Amino acid sequence: MASPACFSSFSVPVKEKKLMEVKLGELPGWILMRDFTPKGIAGAFQRGYYRYYNKYINVKKGGVAGISMVLAAYVLFNYCRSYKELKHERLRKYH
Amino acid sequence: SDGAPGPGHWDADAAAGGLVDLAVPGGAFSGRRAPCLKNPVLGPGVLQAIRIFHTRQPSLAPIPCVPEYGGKVCLGLIPKEFFQFLYPKTGVRGPYVLGTGLILYSLSKEIYVITAETFSAISTIGLLIYVVKKYGASIGEFADKLSEQKIAQLEEVKQASIQQIQDAIDTEKSQQALVQKRHYLFDVQRNNIAMALELTYRERLHRVYREVKNRLDYHISVQNMMRRKEQEHMINWVEKHVVQSISAQQEKETIAKCIAGLKLLAKKAPSQPVL
Repeated sequence: MASPACFSSFSVPVKEKKLMEVKLGELPGWILMRDFTPKGIAGAFQRGYYRYYNKYINVKKGGVAGISMVLAAYVLFNYCRSYKELKHERLRKYH
Repeated sequence: SDGAPGPGHWDADAAAGGLVDLAVPGGAFSGRRAPCLKNPVLGPGVLQAIRIFHTRQPSLAPIPCVPEYGGKVCLGLIPKEFFQFLYPKTGVRGPYVLGTGLILYSLSKEIYVITAETFSAISTIGLLIYVVKKYGASIGEFADKLSEQKIAQLEEVKQASIQQIQDAIDTEKSQQALVQKRHYLFDVQRNNIAMALELTYRERLHRVYREVKNRLDYHISVQNMMRRKEQEHMINWVEKHVVQSISAQQEKETIAKCIAGLKLLAKKAPSQPVL
């Protein structure tokens, strides 16, 4: 979203359509409209972080879901990175 | 959007993308020239107030408070939104079937390779799940208690502050009420002053009386003294002249007459006994 990234727990004002509302044909145009400057990308990361933070961690009665999702994503990420070496430990050659 | 408004002039048009980020430190000047005098002719001494602040609409919405519970998550890993997303097409069991299918697919095609680490992973995850299931609630309660203490502290501060201000208001009101009762004080003072005036008046009156009487007494005593003196003087003068008028010859005749008279008396007297 092209909205400013200075808020952390305020609702972010939307000026363009969200990804879910974009039709499939409009997707390339929508992607090109995005802000790809370093500031824009940093803003996107910041927004994403605060979205996750405010939804799962910054609550009164949080649960294990907040960190477990992060750890699971980390596990998956590392597995994908080391898949190349793991390929050699397969039990069968042909699947 | 950089060049048109000029340096130091915040852009009011929020829709011109790449908006200046006021909250990020250092973000106020990113993309613009370094701060400089707007009009160098005037020099640095003159106050050059050309910045216009608060041009964006103020956000009037109340700050949303911290939500009670986090987003719902199934199996501790997958947010419920995913289940909602698949519900119209596949019903309730769709995501579970999808999960099972994916696992079997990755196992059969050996996208997930079973190694020695698999067993350590299984035991670790099993242990974690056991611990979470067994002690999760108590840890949650402990954390809740901590946060409740913090909130109670803050609430206390807030209440104390409110109480203080309330006390100040009450004091102010009572003092204002006192102002209405000032007239008693003034009445008492007025009475006192009237009494003092009366007292002084009477005192002076008495003094006047005394002084006048004093003077009158003086005149009276003067008169009395004069009269007495005149009397005495007159008596003395009369006596003196009478004595002076008795000549020597008259004195002899008077004395001879007295002696004759006495002799006469002496003749009459011997008939009476001497007492």
